[in-house]
Formats: sequence, C-alpha cells, structure tokens
Amino acid sequence: MNLKVVKNLSFALFFLYFFLVSIKLLEKGIKTLGAEYTDQLFESVSNPFAGLLVGILCTVLVQSSSVTTSTIVGLVGSGVLSLEYAIPMVMGANIGTTVTNTLVSFGHIRREQEFKRAFAASTMHDFFNVIVVIILFPLDLITGFITKMAEDGTEFLLATGFTATKPDSPIKNAIKWGSNNILDGLNAVPFIGNLNENSYRVYAVILIIIAIGCIFLSLRNVVKNMKSLMLNQIEMGLDKALAKGGGLFAILIGILITFSVQSSSITTSILVPIVGSGILSIENAFPITLGANIGTTITAVLASFAVDNSAGLTIALHHVLFNAIGVAIIYPIQFIRNIPVNLAKSLAVVTAKRRYVAILYVLVTFLLLPLLGVVIFN
Amino acid sequence: MSKNSLDNIDAKLTEMLTNSTRVFDISMNALLGDTNLDSVRDDLYDTDKAINELHREVRREMIIHSAVNSRSLDIPLLLSYMTMSKDIERIGDYCKNLFEIAETGNTFVKGEDLDSYIELRNDIGKLIVYLQSCIALDDESKVQDLITLGSSISTDIDKRITALLENKEKIQYPVATTLFFRYLKRIVSHIVNAATALIMPTDRIDYLDE
Repeated sequence: MNLKVVKNLSFALFFLYFFLVSIKLLEKGIKTLGAEYTDQLFESVSNPFAGLLVGILCTVLVQSSSVTTSTIVGLVGSGVLSLEYAIPMVMGANIGTTVTNTLVSFGHIRREQEFKRAFAASTMHDFFNVIVVIILFPLDLITGFITKMAEDGTEFLLATGFTATKPDSPIKNAIKWGSNNILDGLNAVPFIGNLNENSYRVYAVILIIIAIGCIFLSLRNVVKNMKSLMLNQIEMGLDKALAKGGGLFAILIGILITFSVQSSSITTSILVPIVGSGILSIENAFPITLGANIGTTITAVLASFAVDNSAGLTIALHHVLFNAIGVAIIYPIQFIRNIPVNLAKSLAVVTAKRRYVAILYVLVTFLLLPLLGVVIFN
Repeated sequence: MSKNSLDNIDAKLTEMLTNSTRVFDISMNALLGDTNLDSVRDDLYDTDKAINELHREVRREMIIHSAVNSRSLDIPLLLSYMTMSKDIERIGDYCKNLFEIAETGNTFVKGEDLDSYIELRNDIGKLIVYLQSCIALDDESKVQDLITLGSSISTDIDKRITALLENKEKIQYPVATTLFFRYLKRIVSHIVNAATALIMPTDRIDYLDE
C-alpha cells in the first residue's frame, strides 16, 4: 500500500465520519428550532407533488442527490419531517441528480454525431427516473407497498441487532462524541454562545446552515478521495463491462463503481464521453446507469446510522427499494427496457440538429417545471 | 493519473510490436527465402488483423482512461500513445505490401544482393525489438540510439532507391526492388516516428528532420 493510497483512504474515512457527524449536527439544529417552527417550514412540502418538485430543485441546486437524500434522512431522523413528506422528496432527488451528466454531455456539442450519442447517454437516465416515478409514485402513494417494505426492513434490521441501527451502538456513540465536541467548540465562540442562550432560533438556523455546509463538504471530499483511490478499479470495471456488453454484469459494475465513490453522477458522467466517442453503445451503457441508480442509495443508508429515530433508516431503505424496484420493472423485458433508451435517442436526434433545444430541455425540465409546479401545488 | 491503465496501454503496444515482428518476418521470408506463400498467407493476414484490433483496443483504453481521469489527464502522453499506436499499426500494413510483392511472383532469393537484403532484414527486425524494449524501459538514451540507428538505415535505403532511379544498378526486378526498398523505408520511418513519440515534445513528434 503506497502513501497516496493511505492518504486517500484516511481522508475518505475521516470525511465519512465527518459526514455522519454533520447529519447528527443537522438533527440537533432541527430539534433546537422547535416543532412549532419546523411544522411551518415543511408545510410547503405537505403536498406530495410539491415535495417531489422540491426534491428535484434542491438536487439540481446542490448537484448531488446524496446531499439531498442525506439531509432528508437527517430531517426524518430528527422527527420533523414525516416519511409521508420525505418519500416524494427522495424520488425528486432521483430525477434532479440526472442534470449533472446532461450538463457533461454539452462538452460534446461541437460534433453532431458525438453530441447525439452523448446526449442520449445522459438523458436515458432522466427518462428512466421519470418513468419509474410515474409508475411507482402514485402506486406507493395509494398502496404504500414500498413504504411497508421499508418499515418491515427497518424492523427486521433492528430485531436482528444490526449494530449501526442500535441506539447505543459504537458507531452512534462515536458520532455523538464528534457532534458534541463540535457543538462545544461552536458554543465556545462568544457570538454563537450568546445566541445559544438568548436567541435559540437564530442559533438553530446557524447550526443547520453549518451542518448542511458540512454535509456538502464532507460528501464532496469522500467522493474525491474515493474516486482517486478507485480509479484503476473503475477503469477495469468499465473495461470488463465493455467486453461483456451489458446485462446484469453491467448493472453490478454500475452498483460497485457508485458504491465505491458514493456518487451516481461520477459513474453516469464517466459514461457520457465513452458513449459519445462511440466505443460503448447506449443500450450497453443503460444497465451501468441503472446500477448507478441503485449504488447511490447507500449514502442515505450510511446517513441513517447517524440519526436516533428509526424512521431515518426507513426512508433510506425506501430509497434503496424504490430504485431497485424501478430497475426490476424496467430492465428485464426488452420492450420496456427500450422505452427510456428510445425516448432518449429520439430527443438526441432533435437536439443534435437544433442544439438550443438541449439547453431549453435542461432549463425547462430541471428548473422551470419544478419551480412552476412548486408554485402551483402550494 | 492511474498507472495501471497506462501500463495496460504499454502492454498492448508491446503486443502490437510482437505481432509486427511476426508479419515482418513472414513477409521478408516470402521475398528472401523459399517460403510456400499459401502456407503463411492466413497467418500473415490474421496477425495483421490482430494488430488492428489491438490498435482499436488502445484507442478504447485511452477513451475510458480520459473519461475516468478527466480532471488529471496527461494529454501529451495520450497524444503520444495515439501517434505511436498508429505508427505501429502501419508497420503491419507495409509488411502486407511486401508480401504482395512476393505474391506477384517476384523473389530476391537468387539475386546477387540477397546477403545485403538479409542484413537489412535483420537490422530492421532488431529495430522493432529495440522499440519494444524502449517502451518497456522508458530510457531516453536507448530511444536516442534507436532514432540514430533508424535514421542511418533510412539513409542507406534512400541511397539504394536513388541508385535504382538513376539506373546505376542492373537488377532482375527493378519495380519490385524499388517498391521493396520504399516499403522498408516506410517501416523504418514508422518505427523511428513511434520512438520520437516516446521522448519528443508533442508538436515535434514525426518531424525529426525539421
């Protein structure tokens, strides 16, 4: 093991710990704010459609579904955001995260054929997530079957004594120790200490802002260090996926790459230039993208280790199940599998000829429609 | 930048050169020996196809490497790989051209200059192997030696071609011999160009004499 590997691994582990501590800080900040105030704050997402659109918008703004879903886990864990409101927001995060690789495809805009392939490779992820939301969102809203499965999963994990989920687990204790020390450090700052005593709401808001900033910073550094650590493995994995030409193996590669770097955007953004250059077909890149969709859910599961309320684990498991069921619905039958791929290809034909359509597509899908929807549903 | 994936490209370039040695030997033996052409034709074309496939694999490796390492990319290195793989791939093509000379019934087996041709074959064969070791060792002085040696062989071939064009030599197959030297010169040039890619600045690759 060389020095660089040790450095990257140490930093990744440190920032992973810091990430969990940040979730705990968020939980504390929310609790300090008080139930009365937080109820008002989350009233805007009481409509599930508004929640879905807020999820999209937040993820587009921070360019990371992991930040959004982890924050949601923190909110659910603190008890201020109910599962009912959180579920659509997580679904929205799934859609919002696809904007990153769509923006990456713009790097190929100078060459028509290349851009056509690259844009299709990026938007098939959009279409997949939108189709899955169209199918599963109302179904889960009406029957609650994924929620029930997630609750059963939580109960099962708690019953089996899965260490990280126990209130007095060493992981939870270590996280509490870290967050308490940070809080003590913050309170030692005279200005913040005074706020804590005299104006608890301002203090809570500062705490929440610091916590979200820390979540963002720590996740970014986990991704950066893990990517650096896993570069060779990612290349080898993609080489193998290329050789096998898709299928379940490619889904597994997508899961493993995303799991190891903690970011689906990294995986899907890597695919865009590879498909753009024409060495990987859109059809064969599709299962890797689906794998990335499943792999990204691990971050929320990790975040749930930091919160006391078991609902945090439930929302994380809901995210895992939602994405896995989506793949199970879309991928096995070729006719269904081809729908998002063909939709992406058709859109790419139009955008390659009229490139302003690509810009319009991003603005309308990821900003205008969600904003408009939030206004309408509120 | 990840080392292993680049090592993989190096390995593929080395394999391309191993195959180039094979097609070079087959085609030169067809011209300078008593080889039954039918017995080696498939081997020659299959080996050339393998070189072409390795060339494509190198390109694919480079795309994947670029996609994964987009923020810490050694662009000059990738450009040199691109030009090296192209030069090595061309060796196989010229060897096929040499074989085609033999297929049209031309042979130098009974010619007076056979010994000097065999010597030339040995020198160029060694040059290909030398390029392989240059890629493996990353030793600038070795690459300089290769470039010097290749340039000297190239100058020698040029003199022979000029002599042929000026009708100074009486030979049995003048057209075939001219083409033979011409193709050998191209092979040597591609070996030298591939070597320049190992040490020269990107803008000067292939332009040794300027």
